[in-house]
Amino acid sequence: MQDIMAILPLVATATGAILMMLAAAFESFKKEGISILGIGLFAFAFFVQLTVENGAPITPYGTIFNGMLVTSTFTKVAGLIILACGFFSAIASQTYFTQNEGFVLEYYCMMLFAACGMLLLTMAAELITLFIALEIMSLAIYVLIASDRRSVLRSEAVLKYLMLGAFAGAFFVMGSVFIYAGAKSTRFADIGRVIAESGFLTNPALVGGSLLILVALLFKAAAFPFHAWVVDVYDGAPLPVTGFMATAVKTAVFAVFANFLMINGELQQGWVSYLFYISVLTMFVGNLIAIGQNSLKRMLAASGIVHSGYLIIALVAINSEQFNGSTILFYLAAYAASTLGIFAALSYLGGEGEKRHSFDDFNGLAKVRPYSAACIAIFLLSMAGIPPTAGFMGKFYIIAGAFKSGYISLGVLGIISSILSMWYYLRLIIVMYFREPEEDFGVSELQLAPLGTFVLALSVFAISFIPVVI
Amino acid sequence: MFENLLSIMIFVPIVAGLAAFVLPLSRDAARIIGLAVSVIVVLLGIKVFLAFSGASGGFEFVEYVPINDSLGIAYSLGVDGISILVLAAAATLFPMVYLLFQTKEKGYYANLLIVQGAMIGAVAATDMVLYYVFWEVMLLPVFFMIGLYGGPNRLPATIKITIYTIAGSLLMLASIIYLGISYHAQSGEWSFAMANLSKMSLTGPTATLAFVGFMVAFAIKIPLFPFHTWLPDAYTEAPTATTFVLSAVMAKIGVYGVIRFVVPVFDESFARYALILACSGVIGMMYCGIAALAQKDFKRMLAFSSASHMGIIALGIFCMNIQALTGTLFQIVAHATSTGVLFLLLGIIEERTDTRNIDDFGGLASRAPIFALFFAVAMLASVGLPGTSGFIGEFLIILGAVKFNPLIAVFAGTTLIIGVCYMLWLFQRVFFEKPNSKLAGFADLSAIETLTILPIVILIVVMGIYPQPFLAKIEPSAERQLALIERVQQVAEYRLEVTNPGQELKTGDL
Repeated sequence: MQDIMAILPLVATATGAILMMLAAAFESFKKEGISILGIGLFAFAFFVQLTVENGAPITPYGTIFNGMLVTSTFTKVAGLIILACGFFSAIASQTYFTQNEGFVLEYYCMMLFAACGMLLLTMAAELITLFIALEIMSLAIYVLIASDRRSVLRSEAVLKYLMLGAFAGAFFVMGSVFIYAGAKSTRFADIGRVIAESGFLTNPALVGGSLLILVALLFKAAAFPFHAWVVDVYDGAPLPVTGFMATAVKTAVFAVFANFLMINGELQQGWVSYLFYISVLTMFVGNLIAIGQNSLKRMLAASGIVHSGYLIIALVAINSEQFNGSTILFYLAAYAASTLGIFAALSYLGGEGEKRHSFDDFNGLAKVRPYSAACIAIFLLSMAGIPPTAGFMGKFYIIAGAFKSGYISLGVLGIISSILSMWYYLRLIIVMYFREPEEDFGVSELQLAPLGTFVLALSVFAISFIPVVI
Repeated sequence: MFENLLSIMIFVPIVAGLAAFVLPLSRDAARIIGLAVSVIVVLLGIKVFLAFSGASGGFEFVEYVPINDSLGIAYSLGVDGISILVLAAAATLFPMVYLLFQTKEKGYYANLLIVQGAMIGAVAATDMVLYYVFWEVMLLPVFFMIGLYGGPNRLPATIKITIYTIAGSLLMLASIIYLGISYHAQSGEWSFAMANLSKMSLTGPTATLAFVGFMVAFAIKIPLFPFHTWLPDAYTEAPTATTFVLSAVMAKIGVYGVIRFVVPVFDESFARYALILACSGVIGMMYCGIAALAQKDFKRMLAFSSASHMGIIALGIFCMNIQALTGTLFQIVAHATSTGVLFLLLGIIEERTDTRNIDDFGGLASRAPIFALFFAVAMLASVGLPGTSGFIGEFLIILGAVKFNPLIAVFAGTTLIIGVCYMLWLFQRVFFEKPNSKLAGFADLSAIETLTILPIVILIVVMGIYPQPFLAKIEPSAERQLALIERVQQVAEYRLEVTNPGQELKTGDL
């Protein structure tokens, strides 16, 4: 019974998804009704997740369902972030599809399924469960990207993502097989015990297996050198889906990352030096890509790569004794709030068929829609790490964690990278505020996304007061 | 209510500024709100200044609210002798802006309000993280003020100042975090309180890097040679009230930062590099002074002049003795008042004549005698004439420089003459010589304008004749701050021996 209680949010989300699928089969449900239902279900799942009692510290060793799943404060908060991402993406979608083609009634159902996979990912304490969760999430995301079958752009994006994602999935399975060969078990607890007994580097199957799994996870996390797909896929997906991918998928993947690296200190130590270079390269390559972009969506995609780099810094710094994952979660929450905020704002400012997509399309926005421009500016400043926003505190905790674990150079490189990123964040602010407007950015009907944007702008400030222990 | 005096001074302007942004106010309503708030802040500032005893050298008006216990981050405020005069400058100079410049847009006044609150916050913060937050918040309104309301070439100037200052402050953020981590490593508990961190004395290569991080951030803000290149553009393109804010107060917060953080914590690095830094201060003085001589644009000339005088203020810190440090702290206000008034008067000229080209002026003294009188007093204070506030500060700094290194003192003293040259020359060209026909309609200061500037002009003279009340508030804290680095000063090896250039050459070599 306790097991069931622990996965209640998962059950709620999955039930909601099936409910949505059934609802979509009835003709009487129109786009508006389905949208409201989808948003409501995300809100419901969020509150269910909120009520789950869980005070356990982070651990990769599960007890529920025979060690398949693990629940802790870490998984709970990660789940909250994911469901909040889903909620705000759903709000953005409602508005987006009043101006854009390509809505299918199963859209929200797929979002819920994706969220379901993500929740499972954060809780997985066993490799096969992990794989199933990963595929539930990925398949739903593929469908979301390509829900508009007639669009060439969407089809191209999904093809790229699907092909590479299939490879990543295959890598993951292969890695699991190796680890099973090395540790005679797929459960994290057993793997950790085997490593503790016989050592990590002496066991080639474990080394190779965990390498393959890391490759798959780095692919999903959009880290260097597996970042090449990000810009095209994010650009090709419908705007709210891009926002959902950039935030919720990242949250889920980094939760897995933290869980997986926590299996054993030696495993984490084995990968730290690689993760070190990967994080540096991810940050700087991401910055270089972002600086060159003219499309906002592509710039945000590339800046997502940079933020993955910062999060990997936090993974490198895991080895301090009292690690509790709060640094990672705080950063993810701050990043999710600001990124989703921008996507929510773009979903109503983008216009029909995403006609406004480049920097120059937003010339003089502040003169016509000052509140929207102010919100976007707040989100950008948060992403750039300027106080008093949550993004600043997130960066502060990550750099402090790196310094504390002795990675001074990594922290300094992170700082330098955020100086570079000022370039493209400031660019949008300059365009919005210092140019003359060319159009009126009209929004026809009463919609939810402006409200969502406003709430997210407030939460960017509110999140920074959440205390975090490094 | 008066327990939270500093908080009120910080948040009343910020809240009023945000409200002015959000509410649909007219331009005049925004200006009147700004004026009212700034007058309130002035009154509170005067109250703080008078109630501040300064005898102990420690913090007064302390407020403390923990924010993040596990990391020791707190909302903590306080004032001591080092910050009191900077705080006074930040609190008292603003009403003039609202009174003199009445035709700006609503957002402009809102930005001014926010920048004032943030500057007071940065000066009053006694927690490093809080300080950093205010330090960054201070930058944003400046960004918008220059970018939205500046001159024709405002965009490059905005980008330059923003990238410069953000790069500097992010490096400082790394250094602040490093300090916190070091304190944790040394004492076992987390704290970002300045009082705790300044007890530390860090040495070693990483500490030197952290020192560089701080120094670069502050050197950009002051600005210290060679980080001054943003200044001429930003000062010239910014609307005059913003230039006033930048030169009169914001630059001083950079100086304050060096005295507050760098001197006590990185005593060893500081002592080791003091000579180089002092040289860079003197080079900045000379370079900007000579550049000022060559300017045709009135505002650009004042910008270079302001930068040149910041050089000597910076020099005062690097001499590491009580005379120079007291002189610097005193000169912070002296420079804020004199340069501030110069920029404000320039702003008035600009509004009335639409030109800044020095050649277009001439014979203003006969048309506008009060204007000329005020300009003359501020100018003489700026060049350090005895009897004005500028003299006391610069005299103390040069005195300290002689004790530190006579050669530096000679160069610094000589450079002051350049300042006299360009200022008097400017005065001659603008106010005397043959009257320019374009200026026929130039009206003298109105009654409101006269009354606005008069208190500052009186302050300049009073501070020059009777500086004792100000010095008495500064000295105990300055001594305390220096006591923190006395240990290093006594070690001879950190003092670089200066060889007189050319003294090893024999006459035959030439």
